[in-house]
Amino acid sequence: MNDNKLNRLFAAARKHPAPVPAPDFAADVLRAVRREPAVAAGEPLAIFDQLNRLFPRLALAAAALIVVSLATDYGLTATDWPDLGAGVAQVSSQLLFNPEEL
Amino acid sequence: MSDDAELLQRIRAGATDEFAELVRRHQAQVFGILHRYERDAQRVEDLAQETFLKAWRALAQFDGRAPFEHWISRIAVHTALDHLRKEKRRISAVGLPDLGDDALDWLRSGDEKSELDARSAAEVLAQAMQRLSPNDRVILTLQELEGRSVKEIAATLGVTGITVRVRAVRARARLKHALERLEKT
Repeated sequence: MNDNKLNRLFAAARKHPAPVPAPDFAADVLRAVRREPAVAAGEPLAIFDQLNRLFPRLALAAAALIVVSLATDYGLTATDWPDLGAGVAQVSSQLLFNPEEL
Repeated sequence: MSDDAELLQRIRAGATDEFAELVRRHQAQVFGILHRYERDAQRVEDLAQETFLKAWRALAQFDGRAPFEHWISRIAVHTALDHLRKEKRRISAVGLPDLGDDALDWLRSGDEKSELDARSAAEVLAQAMQRLSPNDRVILTLQELEGRSVKEIAATLGVTGITVRVRAVRARARLKHALERLEKT
């Protein structure tokens, strides 16, 4: 496929006409607009509406975070690094509740 | 007839019915954009409705600095991009339909002057483009089928002009490769 043939393909496809909107298309859109939750144009959204719209992305981000955390934990365990629990115990024994210093 | 700015002002003031007039003014433009990404007329209509609903929901964010037609066309392109991403998953599951004989003959023909009708050309392009990523497909469609400038594409997609140029060159190469694979089917 050379450039000339590709350009002729684009030129021919450009002439393909778009479908004509149905006569009642605008009325259908208006009906759908009226079925929308009572958020008038120009009115700011409530925080719960905004969270609701973000839901799929927030759910994906949460799932990704869980996967990354599990992978990190698995990786650290496999390489014999001290895990988070051990780190906390170490910090608390060194700084907070060292019985030898009491 | 009042311009879009006046109409939008009335809609924002509560004249919801006036939104239908705004739809009538811009529906041909929106259908014209969306049919480049979806060949089924009913689905184009569904996507057009989705585009106008998104515009309705985001009307508060339209500041009027750019013409309404630019704003609605950006929403239409992003609606198409979302649609392509969903379609990509569906097509990888069910596969592509076969090309028509005219389209296949033209693809395989070595005759540099043979012409292809618009319908078959759209069919060939749709088939080949379905093998590209949604981002490649949008860039090629905006540049080659809609004739938009690099600057316009960059503004629509929210990327730099250099990114558009680089992506367009790569997308074109990938499209050629996809067409060559189609030839061999």
